[in-house]
Amino acid sequence: MNRRIALLSFAITLGLGVLTACGMVSTEKSFAAVHPQELGAGRPSCSVCHEDELKGSGKTYAAFNHSSTFVKDHKVQAGQDANVCATCHSQSFCADCHAGKTVMKPSTKLGGRPDRATPHPGNYLTMHRIEGKIDPSSCFKCHGRANNDKCTSCHR
Amino acid sequence: MTQRTNVVLLAALITATAGAQDVNVYGTTMAQMWKQDVPGFDKTSYAPATQFLGIDATKLGTEALSLHLFGWGRVDLGEATSMGKKSDGNLTYGYLQYRFAEANAEIKAGRFAINQGAGMEQVDGISARTDLKHGFVVSFFAGKPVIYKSQDPADQRNYEFQHDVIFGGRVGWRLSRMGEVGVSYLQDGSTAAKDLPIASIVDYSRRQVGADIHFVPIAAIDFTGRTIWDVAHHAEPLSGTAPSRIAEHDYTMLVKIAPLFSMTGDFTERNFQAYYAGTNMPSLFRPDERGKHRGYGGKILLGSAASLLVTADFRSTNRDSFGEANRFGGDVRWTGMDSKLQAGFGAHRVTTQNVLKVDRQVPSYSLSHREIRAWVMYETGRYSASLDGIHQSFDDQHNPNLNGKKAQSELVASLGARLTPSVKVSGDLTYGDNPFFKKDVRALLRAEYRFSLARKGGK
Ligand code: HEC
Ligand code: HEC
Ligand code: HEC
Ligand code: HEC
Ligand code: HEC
Repeated sequence: MNRRIALLSFAITLGLGVLTACGMVSTEKSFAAVHPQELGAGRPSCSVCHEDELKGSGKTYAAFNHSSTFVKDHKVQAGQDANVCATCHSQSFCADCHAGKTVMKPSTKLGGRPDRATPHPGNYLTMHRIEGKIDPSSCFKCHGRANNDKCTSCHR
Repeated sequence: MTQRTNVVLLAALITATAGAQDVNVYGTTMAQMWKQDVPGFDKTSYAPATQFLGIDATKLGTEALSLHLFGWGRVDLGEATSMGKKSDGNLTYGYLQYRFAEANAEIKAGRFAINQGAGMEQVDGISARTDLKHGFVVSFFAGKPVIYKSQDPADQRNYEFQHDVIFGGRVGWRLSRMGEVGVSYLQDGSTAAKDLPIASIVDYSRRQVGADIHFVPIAAIDFTGRTIWDVAHHAEPLSGTAPSRIAEHDYTMLVKIAPLFSMTGDFTERNFQAYYAGTNMPSLFRPDERGKHRGYGGKILLGSAASLLVTADFRSTNRDSFGEANRFGGDVRWTGMDSKLQAGFGAHRVTTQNVLKVDRQVPSYSLSHREIRAWVMYETGRYSASLDGIHQSFDDQHNPNLNGKKAQSELVASLGARLTPSVKVSGDLTYGDNPFFKKDVRALLRAEYRFSLARKGGK
């Protein structure tokens, strides 16, 4: 490993230590590591079981309801409340659609789940030539810095 | 990290699970089969077998320490499915996590994904987060970015050389029942292209500052969004004005007008030079493409996801080098019989400006098309069945990418059975009619399993 990374890692640990030593760290209890209640099938609506505010998040539970808008626009919430998502989702759940390198389209892996919001169902080798042309920037978040073995046979 | 350190790390991590109190192993094994019959080529048969495997081991000695691994491997029993390689695999993540009893503080070490500000990054390194007093929250990470295949050996060398380090952090502030704002920084690579031994025009490094907001002042309003700025050094352009440093604006506002009636509006802008910084595929995501993408849209939602939800949507996008495209249509989603039966239907129309080509045969062609999708899914505790069809028809079959076809469709039928509470098997059959193959039929068999001792909750 490289020296710079070792130094940075040390700085992070030190930073955390300093924050603790100065009494700046919150003293609230962490919430459950794993969601205590088993949920039924489908997209959950948190406000069915929870009222009020999700402790310390600044948001009500209702802001986490998995509405179709939440599912489509989860990016900001995934960044702000990653630890809330982690109570129910292991990273592998996200990796079905977001992996640096994966073997198959999410819609193939989840072929028996048409209810899921998987990107590009159907034959995408055709459609992508249309959708990619209209707006390539919408593809960048998943393909721009990932493994591109599959794309280079045509795009070089 | 080299292949060998990966293997050693993996072995050490797996051995560590021996001391765990709760070990949860889950996986999906898949066998796929299809024949490809491309006019003018020999028929080829593909039969890849794929394994996804995940391990979560908790309470490693202490309550707070846990280990999480996930990866996949593939072997081709028929022809090679990717670029002449008959097998492939990847460790998607593998990290140790220490969770503190207070402040939602945690430390991760190993390979993990980070999405605390700008983008979703795969990192081999360390990360930490904690809540502070007075509503503040901080997170940091540092390590080596996970390296992927680039275009050709020379580019690959530059890309790997520049990807020596990645680090970043985010500071957020939360106000009870109002939401959260945050600022973040990310740096990928310590040398810019101009500092390479042989200066290169393609820069694989990037420096970004981000700002994000989630504003929920009253139950009826939900506003989220972010802006990312490119703050790396770029040479002054030889002519004209320098392109915008704003990589991305992306904002969405949801207004709940009545319990069963809401509306959304959204706006995006992406300036290519700034947004595509650090790509490993500069031939496709061209940082030298001057100009930007701009889009706005809206939705009207009627009903509830628990029974019947009707959505009407509209979106207009504009890419400077291509022109405008408008997409509009609607979706209906229905859930009934205690959520056992679900169905969906959607129809959309996309109208676009023409692609202009300097070609005598096809001087220009349209990308306008229609799309219809319909699906139904039935799931009892024991059995599941689903049908999913999609049909796309194109206005202009002179589009050279369509091989003269006017439409394409695909139908996926799936049947599954839960053999025990933790084992499910299913099979999918896909029939496709598209511009590429004479006949496109694919079969897939899938076994999903999960062996756990004490885990509860979602997926
Ligand atoms: C079927 C009912 C149900 C649903 C739906 C549900 N929860 Fe929970 N949740 C519970 C129960 C029960 C607990 C444990 C008691 C408690 O802490 O309120 C809990 C606990 C939690 C905790 C831990 C709280 C703590 O202080 O330890 C979080 C975080 C949480 N839920 C988030 C969510 C989110 C976010 C959603 C929506 C995506 C959601 N829940 C949906 C029932 C539910
Ligand atoms: C209380 C548990 C819980 C919490 C907390 C939670 N989710 Fe979910 N989420 C679920 C369940 C259950 C599903 C449905 C999975 C399925 O259908 O197989 C789901 C589905 C999803 C989906 C996929 C929807 C689809 O149809 O494909 C996304 C994306 C998602 N969640 C993102 C998030 C993000 C981001 C967060 C954190 C801000 C989060 N979730 C927090 C339980 C939760
Ligand atoms: C949410 C992430 C995500 C977004 C956004 C996304 N993709 Fe993908 N795409 C994937 C994943 C995951 C795969 C499967 C893995 C792979 O083939 O590398 C995939 C596969 C593909 C494939 C190969 C399809 C096949 O049949 O093998 C093409 C082509 C493609 N994407 C193009 C695009 C284009 C063009 C866009 C933008 C209009 C886009 N993608 C947006 C995640 C995404
Ligand atoms: C079988 C060949 C093939 C493969 C494989 C392929 N593409 Fe394409 N792609 C094309 C063709 C042809 C076009 C249309 C080019 C045009 O019209 O200018 C295109 C166009 C695009 C565009 C629009 C480019 C632009 O600037 O207008 C994007 C984005 C794109 N592809 C992404 C991908 C990604 C990501 C992958 C890999 C996951 C991929 N493609 C794999 C053939 C392919
Ligand atoms: C069913 C597929 C799917 C799943 C599962 C999923 N996402 Fe996404 N994600 C998407 C799509 C599609 C987008 C692009 C949305 C857009 O256009 O803004 C996206 C965007 C994002 C982005 C923004 C990326 C960027 O750089 O702009 C982040 C961060 C993200 N998702 C995090 C997560 C996390 C964390 C999880 C797991 C809790 C998750 N996602 C699960 C499909 C998915």
